[in-house]
Amino acid sequence: MKALFLRKSAIALAAIALVGIFAPLFAPAPPQEIVGAPFARPIWWKSGKLPAAKSFDVKIDGIEFEWEDEPPAIFSLYGRVTADASSEVRVIWRTPRKEYLLERLSGSELYWINSDGRDMIFKQALGLPLVSRSVDHLFPSRGKYSLSVEGAKGAELRLLLPGERQGLLGTDQRGRDVFTLFLYGIRTSLIIGTAATLVASLLGVSLGLAAGYAGGLCDALIMRAVDVLLSIPTLPILMALAAVWGKGLWQLVLIFSMFSWMGTARSVRSLVLTLRESAWVESLRALGASRGYILRRHLLPETAPILLANVALGVPGAILSEAGLAFLGLSDPRLISWGRMLHEAHSFGAFTQGAWWLLLPPGLGIVAVCLIFLDMGKFLEEKIDPRLG
Amino acid sequence: MNAGWFAKRLLSSLFVLAAVIALNFILFRMMPGDAVSTIIDPSFSPEAKENLRAIYGLDRPLAEQFMIYVKRMLTFSFGLSFISRKPVWEELLSRLPATLALTSASMALSAAFGIWLGIKAALCRGRLAEKIVLGASAVTASFPGFFVQLVLLMLFARALPIFPLRGTLSAPPPSGTMNLFFDYVRHMALPVISLSLIGFGGWALYVRNLMVRALGEDFALMARARGLPRGRVVWHAFRTILPPIITIFLMSVPGLVSGAVITESVFSLHGVGTFLLEAVSGHDYPAAGAAFYLLALITVFCNLAADVSYGFADPRVRIEGKKE
Repeated sequence: MKALFLRKSAIALAAIALVGIFAPLFAPAPPQEIVGAPFARPIWWKSGKLPAAKSFDVKIDGIEFEWEDEPPAIFSLYGRVTADASSEVRVIWRTPRKEYLLERLSGSELYWINSDGRDMIFKQALGLPLVSRSVDHLFPSRGKYSLSVEGAKGAELRLLLPGERQGLLGTDQRGRDVFTLFLYGIRTSLIIGTAATLVASLLGVSLGLAAGYAGGLCDALIMRAVDVLLSIPTLPILMALAAVWGKGLWQLVLIFSMFSWMGTARSVRSLVLTLRESAWVESLRALGASRGYILRRHLLPETAPILLANVALGVPGAILSEAGLAFLGLSDPRLISWGRMLHEAHSFGAFTQGAWWLLLPPGLGIVAVCLIFLDMGKFLEEKIDPRLG
Repeated sequence: MNAGWFAKRLLSSLFVLAAVIALNFILFRMMPGDAVSTIIDPSFSPEAKENLRAIYGLDRPLAEQFMIYVKRMLTFSFGLSFISRKPVWEELLSRLPATLALTSASMALSAAFGIWLGIKAALCRGRLAEKIVLGASAVTASFPGFFVQLVLLMLFARALPIFPLRGTLSAPPPSGTMNLFFDYVRHMALPVISLSLIGFGGWALYVRNLMVRALGEDFALMARARGLPRGRVVWHAFRTILPPIITIFLMSVPGLVSGAVITESVFSLHGVGTFLLEAVSGHDYPAAGAAFYLLALITVFCNLAADVSYGFADPRVRIEGKKE
């Protein structure tokens, strides 16, 4: 047992699980929060002069800054301005080439500003072509830019310039941080993988014990069910069940465990069949031990090693099933998982954008977790049956 | 071929089929609400609602519904789709060729390549071929198939536009039979290659293990001692492992059909899998049930075919009528 916990894969699994549990601490923002422009590249991406995301706090005396890169992806300005009702407030954006009057406000003491460069109304008010990107006009060249608020008493504005580079792993089609989504995906994968496999193993052990020890009609029925379930394609049934029963986390766990207990049941049954005829079980029977007692106290512990290896080897199957269903779009859209991320990458234009950063992190995450469990399972199997090694 | 053995296999296939039909019936009657509640508008008059329920046969007792259902499944009359209001069977037939082409081609390709590589690995132990086999089998067990396909799609359809990004045929389809055929092949190439790439690792490992054992047995040693050429020795050994290879062929069919469903969705092929996905996500129960039934039918048929060929390959079954 100690050798298992000191194995590299077990340590890696513990580390991943910890990261998954404490994901909110590592993540820069909650996963549903939109922090950047759609399809922004990872921050460490170096090609040309793609700007990183910038934001400025604008007070009453305005701001001034140098801009060296390409235009940002989005220009947005929001916040509030206080002024005398009688005076006219003007918010002016000065570029090296041209001056834009962003807002002209009067007649009130408090104004809320919320403008976004992608709005048609914004473009029309500035006299920009409606079918162009407003940022190309608002950032015509490198040089000195300034934003000033005139005629106001106080201003608490925020100028947000999400760039084409954002976050450790870029952003998805809605501008959410991919790194955050990736961290939250760990949790879903591990919960579904382990919970579904545990339930399936419980089912498999109890049915396998029953079939192996009771024999007769019970055995025939259970083994027929195993044969049928093993010879029909499971994914279509899983799809139908997910659509019929709902797509929540625990429904998925239940569905997966219903269709993955067969292997465990088979190996437990064959073990019990040989144990049943062994001398010590026979002597237990001769001593008058009840059936339940023999099963519980003597046969169940014997199956433990098989069970342990089956759990470790079964988790990748459950994780892959979840990823497959989520990839087909049959999981709860609010449930962040690696499969869901791949689904969104596939159906919302990551391919036309060439957005590999939406594809590789979730995919490699699934692969890594599966490899870890496979390694642990192989190790346990070799411990149980040294001939396999 | 022993008639009794064959009858037993046939019976077992029919049993699986019966189980699939029963499962299908239960599954689509278990959902919340009513099968027609998705198409009944609340503003319909009570008579209209009753009429609709009568059209879909939902006003009869459950046992009678089940009998009618079984009869329909066996005669392939799946009724009308809830969404398109067209016969489901016609739609399915138009999508069957793509699915069959995809599954059979990738199965043949992965089996052929896997067997070849497995034999190669068994012959040159500790060399490159064996390392490839061991690595590939570990990788295929842990790589989600659709992820491999997405990466291939990104590489060979986006970064290097050799293959089309989606679809079964170009729109509009090219004229001329030859052009049409080549266009079809070009669209199916990446799905078939990727699906067989996912499958061959398991094959190769299995064949390698069997082959190593067979080559170590006395008859192989004897064949070598008699000075037979290497090819003959390998053939002798291969002949003895043919039955278990057929068994694994049989057991890989359900997984392959599941893989085909996802593959069709990745490459947006016009197949039964995408039909099932559309039906399931659109709550189109007759269509989903029919598609599932058809996929299960393909699997059961493949199993039966594999069983029969097992009978031909294993003399013990052929002559004595016993398996093992």
